[in-house]
Amino acid sequence: MNPIFDRTAPDRRKFLATSAALGAMACADMSGVNVLSSPAIASELKKKQKRVILFWLAGGSSQLETWDPKPGASTGGPFRAISTDVPGIQISELMPEMAKRMKNTCLIRGLNTRNGDHGSGAKLMMRGRKDEASLKFPDLGAVVAREMGRADSKVPDYVTFYTQTEGRSFAPGDSGFLGARFAPMELTTNNFPEFVRKLDGINDLDHVQRAELRDLLGKQFMKGRQSEVMGSHNEAYERVRGIMASEKLFDISQEPMKVREKYGHTQFGEQALIARRLVEAGVPFVRVARAWWDSHGQNFETHQEMVPELDHVMATLIDDLKDRGLLDDVMIITLAEFGRTPQINSSLGRDHFASAWSSSITGCGIKGGSVYGKTDALGNKVIAEEVNAGSLFATIYSALGIKHDKDYHVGSRPVPLVEPGIEPIEAVLA
Amino acid sequence: MKFAKAEIWLALRTKVVTINRTCLLAANGVCLESLASVGASTMMTLRFVIPAFVLLLSLRSQAAELPPDTLPIPQVIDMLVDAKLTEENVTPAPQADDLTIVRRLTLDLLGRIPTVGESDAYLASKDADKRTKLVDRLIASPAFARYQAILFDVMLNERPGSGGKNGSLRDYLLVAMKENRQWDRMFREMMLPDEAMKGSTEFLRPRLTDADKLTNEVSVSFFGVNVSCAQCHDHPLVKDWTQDHFFGMKSFLTRTYDASGFIAERDSGVVKFKPTKGPERAAKLMFLTGAIVETDTLREPNKDEQKREKEVTEKAKSAKLAPGVPAFSARAKLVQTALQPKESVYFAKSIVNRLWHRLFGLGIVMPLDQMHSENPPTHPELLEWLARDMAAHKYDLQRLIRGIAISKAYSRSSQYPSDTHPDVRTFAVARLRPLTPQQLGTSLKIATTDPKTYDALKPQEFEQRIEQAESAGRGIAAMIAQPTDTFQIGVSEALFFSNGERVMKELLIDGGGSLLGRAKLEKTPAETVKLFIHTALGRPATDDEIRTLASYLTSRNDRLPEAQRQVLWALATCPEFRFNH
Repeated sequence: MNPIFDRTAPDRRKFLATSAALGAMACADMSGVNVLSSPAIASELKKKQKRVILFWLAGGSSQLETWDPKPGASTGGPFRAISTDVPGIQISELMPEMAKRMKNTCLIRGLNTRNGDHGSGAKLMMRGRKDEASLKFPDLGAVVAREMGRADSKVPDYVTFYTQTEGRSFAPGDSGFLGARFAPMELTTNNFPEFVRKLDGINDLDHVQRAELRDLLGKQFMKGRQSEVMGSHNEAYERVRGIMASEKLFDISQEPMKVREKYGHTQFGEQALIARRLVEAGVPFVRVARAWWDSHGQNFETHQEMVPELDHVMATLIDDLKDRGLLDDVMIITLAEFGRTPQINSSLGRDHFASAWSSSITGCGIKGGSVYGKTDALGNKVIAEEVNAGSLFATIYSALGIKHDKDYHVGSRPVPLVEPGIEPIEAVLA
Repeated sequence: MKFAKAEIWLALRTKVVTINRTCLLAANGVCLESLASVGASTMMTLRFVIPAFVLLLSLRSQAAELPPDTLPIPQVIDMLVDAKLTEENVTPAPQADDLTIVRRLTLDLLGRIPTVGESDAYLASKDADKRTKLVDRLIASPAFARYQAILFDVMLNERPGSGGKNGSLRDYLLVAMKENRQWDRMFREMMLPDEAMKGSTEFLRPRLTDADKLTNEVSVSFFGVNVSCAQCHDHPLVKDWTQDHFFGMKSFLTRTYDASGFIAERDSGVVKFKPTKGPERAAKLMFLTGAIVETDTLREPNKDEQKREKEVTEKAKSAKLAPGVPAFSARAKLVQTALQPKESVYFAKSIVNRLWHRLFGLGIVMPLDQMHSENPPTHPELLEWLARDMAAHKYDLQRLIRGIAISKAYSRSSQYPSDTHPDVRTFAVARLRPLTPQQLGTSLKIATTDPKTYDALKPQEFEQRIEQAESAGRGIAAMIAQPTDTFQIGVSEALFFSNGERVMKELLIDGGGSLLGRAKLEKTPAETVKLFIHTALGRPATDDEIRTLASYLTSRNDRLPEAQRQVLWALATCPEFRFNH
């Protein structure tokens, strides 16, 4: 240990100063490094960091009542289609606000993902591929966290909100083979993350200084030892205070009332606002799940209630990001495990449907005002520009500046981000 | 003398390695021909070259032989690991000190740190054989079976924490581990379970919904082979694995199904697949080694069989009647084939590699599920020898664990004296291994308990106290991620320890029986620091630590109990505690 430190009664200030110096040494000494500190990734970080907000429309929203209306068709339902600010693009009348903002958004209308099961469909659409028997793939959030997060980041890498209980267990955030380092911070019961707030039983100074004690003990132990896991252990503790400070990001009372009102006082609106606060502070990936779109009965009532909320919140978020100059670096995605059948069932519902549905991508790296994919007159199948989960993900990665065919290594095996041979949709990349 | 034999073997091996590399050609006669062509006399050939050639051949055949099977396991491990170190010119780290060794062994074998009493006793013992005696004592402890059951549950289920329910696989494993049941028998019991044997059905049952997954997980768990790549195409890198292998393995398992909660098997069945080249074909019952079981049951079930299947399911449902076993059970054939002497190489090597990995943090083959010709072991003879030993000694798991645990290779220091560290795969330095959730949970409990709690107890009472610590540590264990080979500790763990109420309320308490409670009796800060470090880290505090931490305490005299709590927190979260080192 440092001799300066060896005194009987150091005052607090000295204690802090010394430990800080030792802390710096400890970092310089540390050879166990995190994957994030490799040179290749460091250079990528020089580019402006890209971030993602994913609206997860859990249960499967209907493409016909959102992005791909079929007015007048037997499958079309009661709602009209309306024109948008992009000539030639029409969306459901339930989305009047988004209709004024299609210039920034790209619609993928030709999704054929072949999986109409909530559980495995959600897994597929969160990962862009099917898990192998013995290989669990990281989901979109974990990959973006891995690619965009910084080892010393003061904010979490991946935050996910899923407050409603329906379908939550189908779509937990999951870092797969990337492991605990990239696992999400999950918020389910309220809008404040767990373990971010200091307990009352310890004062702030003691909280800081005991971490410094820990550091000192660690530094001594690290002499002559090398280990990546030990590196990650240290980094994890180094990030604690920063992440604790990010607690305020979850506190929307810090936003002007005017802004809060724009988003609306709904849970979804508030979470979208927190998402904006998070990406603004550098969190690479935030998912806000909104459940439950699974309208086997009364599809139209469900959508009449839920689509306008989505429309309003999404439009507000776009405006807000634009005002802050963030829309070029932040991507907003709407996605679900699948869409809904064009066929209207006897309970006036629509059932699970994965062969011709839609997703939207707004902002960062994407060609706004574009549409890719065409479904037939009834919406039963894709007739042009079909897209599967893999190429949707390849497109998202490319738009974020992540090479879609980049390999991760699991042991000796190279594992590309998307399945080999799958390419991004060049036509919609900016 | 066993030892002499080993030395001869090793000497031969060293020579042959060199001779082999240069003169392999001789064995093929090329050497003779070239000698003749340069005009060596026939006489010379007869008198000199031929005897030399014969000697060469005999040396070669001895090299192909493994060290004698009569040698003790630790000796063979050290001989072969050291031979590789010499070959690669690597100096190993020195042996770890006694306190590190007793901590490492207790963590590895019992899943917890030693108590102060245990480490002090080990340190004080002058018995030349104390290490072996410690290992034997730990293996004989009931906690050994408990911890092994957890480790096997994690290995077979990859879903830590799923155990513990009544009738779970963990129940079965615990019974098996208590009596050191042979691994081949356990394999048989889990693959051909008897519904009456509690928990034995739970390896198969949860996997019956997905035959592809079942096929791969059986291959991974028991044979160290991941054939999932070969499901869609022949393995791109490994010529060993073709689609025939994947579908061959699947054919053994696909007839097994869930009949209203019971494991049942059809009399017949066929797996057809479309190879990447050529027309669709029917898979044979083919094991990973290519061994084929001939049968006339490779067909779709006929009408009678379908009818019987319905009846079986009906009976299982209504009368809770376990289905019988078919006359020809493909699954039983898989077990039988896999254990035949000629085919058992995967089975034996895989368990050896897994136990080795468990104690070294690294397998002889890495990753554990990639045992194939393109991914050679770092120590092929060692793996071969240990696998042979495993099979020859009735798949006695304790025998190998004990053998590894008393080897010198196992007990090296995790500190290396120079900046350039040798390749981890030489096993020259002990690897830092993050504690498993169970290790961490129980150890934290012991580390924050008054060490006197464990003193002067009858063995049975001591055992009870330890079990209490295990169960008290479970809540925290549930918050900790199970380490994997690519494991990195996430910030959520650090946040949990920094701000989790559980940590404050379950570990940093100062009531009677707790370490913080005990600290109230210490007269000076220095004494408190010594007590804390001794209890938590199992070693005496260094002078630096005493000075530093005592001054921290002294300067917080106004809130000494809190200050003590912070010091204990720092010890409980520091890397020295978090890792098995």
